Amino acid sequence: MLSRVASSLYWLSRYVERSDGILRMLKINYASSQDTIQEFTWTPVIRISSGGNEAEISSIKNDSRSVIEYLLFNRDNPNSIINMITLARENARSVQEHIAKDLWQCLNEYYHTVKDPKLLWYVQKDDPVTALDILIKQVMLYYGTAGSIMERGESRSFMSIGKYLERSIQSIDILDIKFISISNNPDLLTDTSYWQHLLLSLGGYELYLKTYRKGFEAENVLELVMLNNDFPRSAKYSVNNIYRYFERLKSDKNIEHYNKLSFNIGRLNSTITYSSVNSMKAEGLHPYLVKIRSELYGIGNLLNEYYFANA
Amino acid sequence: MNTINLNRYDHISNTWDEMYIADNHLREQYHRIISYLENESANDLNKKEELAKRLFMSQGITFTVYDSGEGIEKIFPFDIIPRIITCAEWTFIEKGIKQRLKALNLFLKDVYNNQFIIRDGVIPASLIYSCPHFLREMHQLNVPYDIYIHIAGIDLIRDYDGTFYVLEDNLRTPSGVSYMLENREITKRLFPDLLPQCKVRSVTEYPSILYKNLLSLSPRAVANPTIVLLSPGMYNSAYYEHTTLARLMGVELVEGRDLVVRDQKVYMKTTTGLQQVDVIYRRVDDEFIDPLVFNPKSVLGVAGLMSAYRKGNVAIINATGNGVADDKAVYSYVPDMIKYYLNETPLLKNVPTYSLGNPEHKEYVFQNMHKMVIKKTNESGGYGMLMGHAASESEIESYKKEILKDPRNFIAQPTISLSTAPCYLDGMLQPRRVDLRPYALVGPDGISIVPGGLTRVALKEGSLVVNSSQGGGSKDTWVLAS
Repeated sequence: MLSRVASSLYWLSRYVERSDGILRMLKINYASSQDTIQEFTWTPVIRISSGGNEAEISSIKNDSRSVIEYLLFNRDNPNSIINMITLARENARSVQEHIAKDLWQCLNEYYHTVKDPKLLWYVQKDDPVTALDILIKQVMLYYGTAGSIMERGESRSFMSIGKYLERSIQSIDILDIKFISISNNPDLLTDTSYWQHLLLSLGGYELYLKTYRKGFEAENVLELVMLNNDFPRSAKYSVNNIYRYFERLKSDKNIEHYNKLSFNIGRLNSTITYSSVNSMKAEGLHPYLVKIRSELYGIGNLLNEYYFANA
Repeated sequence: MNTINLNRYDHISNTWDEMYIADNHLREQYHRIISYLENESANDLNKKEELAKRLFMSQGITFTVYDSGEGIEKIFPFDIIPRIITCAEWTFIEKGIKQRLKALNLFLKDVYNNQFIIRDGVIPASLIYSCPHFLREMHQLNVPYDIYIHIAGIDLIRDYDGTFYVLEDNLRTPSGVSYMLENREITKRLFPDLLPQCKVRSVTEYPSILYKNLLSLSPRAVANPTIVLLSPGMYNSAYYEHTTLARLMGVELVEGRDLVVRDQKVYMKTTTGLQQVDVIYRRVDDEFIDPLVFNPKSVLGVAGLMSAYRKGNVAIINATGNGVADDKAVYSYVPDMIKYYLNETPLLKNVPTYSLGNPEHKEYVFQNMHKMVIKKTNESGGYGMLMGHAASESEIESYKKEILKDPRNFIAQPTISLSTAPCYLDGMLQPRRVDLRPYALVGPDGISIVPGGLTRVALKEGSLVVNSSQGGGSKDTWVLAS
């Protein structure tokens, strides 16, 4: 497979996954903004999903509609849904012969849906959740189509690696920001709705209830999001999948590069596997998460060097 | 309410109409579709138009206009009424194109080798050597099976009496074939069951014939030669076509930056290292294909490609240097080529052409500017043209000055009116000018022409220019089996 093609597949997949994460987070946070007697602040959400500058954040942080509009449609926000889907689509356009035609059409429709003026109207004047639901449905269509028609070969491996890399980074970012807020405001530690929202935005709420019967506790949330084998958004599950899909790329032709990268992925996988809530706390949660994140970035960089740039 | 009221069909006098004869009489090939349309209300037809637009948009069959930073997606205008060609017309067209391509291919082989046609005084040497697309790099370069033209999109037009004329040969990188394929797909959705009822021949074979031809050109005798389609990239207006063809043939779509030449062999950069490339179907113009030989500023091509080609390590489709055969001044000699190489009488007519490099011709043209279409010999896409009948005196005077700077660069042709075909516009059928571009594929086993082609239509009332860059659209083109 062409290096450029592999790179496009990987990135289109990362962008779609990122858009999915942001959309779900927006939906949950919007719901909670409607269900509070205090002023709801969007600061953590904006920080996780846009990296926007402080001035921008403080100017919109208390207005739900403006935040959603900024995160969906703002062209100056590199992580806005419209920017990401534009990039995903451009990547898909250049690799049409590698993804099935249906998948290209999915992304094309996703793009045209975001650009539909009706959507902006929902956000500005009507029910913003309708807009979010319409977009979330586009992502689900994409994943359904990809799952049922993509050939199980190199293309899918690169797409899956992109997807799980993005997903693990997202889960870790969310955890990190949420726990940093606790150290600033210890009251949150016992605030049930605080944990509920975190779990809801990661889609782990039901699983949590089934796994832990004693209500919401920070340590259990941490365990679920980092270490649960069956939770599709946990760091462990995602890194496991990176490992699994990368293994399929093994080939005699580039065994040297394969081995180097395989070593890094394996090491990260082990680090997470042999962590426990206690060991994370002993190491300090923030430094631990920073370490895991930088390992993930490192994997992305090596992929770039060995498989995409072909230098 | 009956939408299709033929009394309102505004047939243009002295013009061949593909459907309409006179006094509400229609040509036989249109009877069935017109009676089908007569059962549809204006609302039904408007819905079909909407459906067509939606299908083009959702499949991403669009081009992007970059205006004030934000790209705007547009679709090429599509008219839902098909253009219909009879079995007899098609048989004639097919024979005519095959004859023409045989002669043109022999001409290219000759002109890049022994140049008998020049020595025998059939074509003046000055004409060939002054052509910017005549490439000395092609001199005595062996191309597989002596085939230079693998894909041709010959433009045909019809005069007032229905006679077919060749307007241009398009032997370099003809485009538009994806519209032939997509227009048909859309028509299948718009008019369920109508295609089989009318016995319309299928065009779907095109990608498989092309693929088979590309496969047979591989210089290496390996089981699975690597075939690539070389595209200038996403910002090219025909990018949609490149991706479609690559997908339909299952070949790799590459850009110049994906390829590299080592030891006069071409490789592509893959995730598992370099992989040798055997056949390149290129959609990049000659000028940009190899910065070492042609335009040194080009980033669309591959440095060293021509050396690999000359060495016979890679096949390039179409061959480079074909432009000398579809130069508009050389065009006027094609009937002579057919006589010279094949000893046959040309079947398809040429539009009479005056080359301004010839002083007598120039004299005549300057006296009759209003009756002429004047074109630059090395431009295409409808650019740089003067339509004499519509030009003002001052436009004509300034164009004359332009000509005098370099007369070799211009040709003139009498205005041919172009046939009209019915289009569904503003809720009724209206005649608009059309041309026809069938696509011919040449391989070691001979020439195949998929029964169909691209019908381009000048949607503006009174316009004679069908190019998409000048407000033209397209139609599905039906060739009937009987």
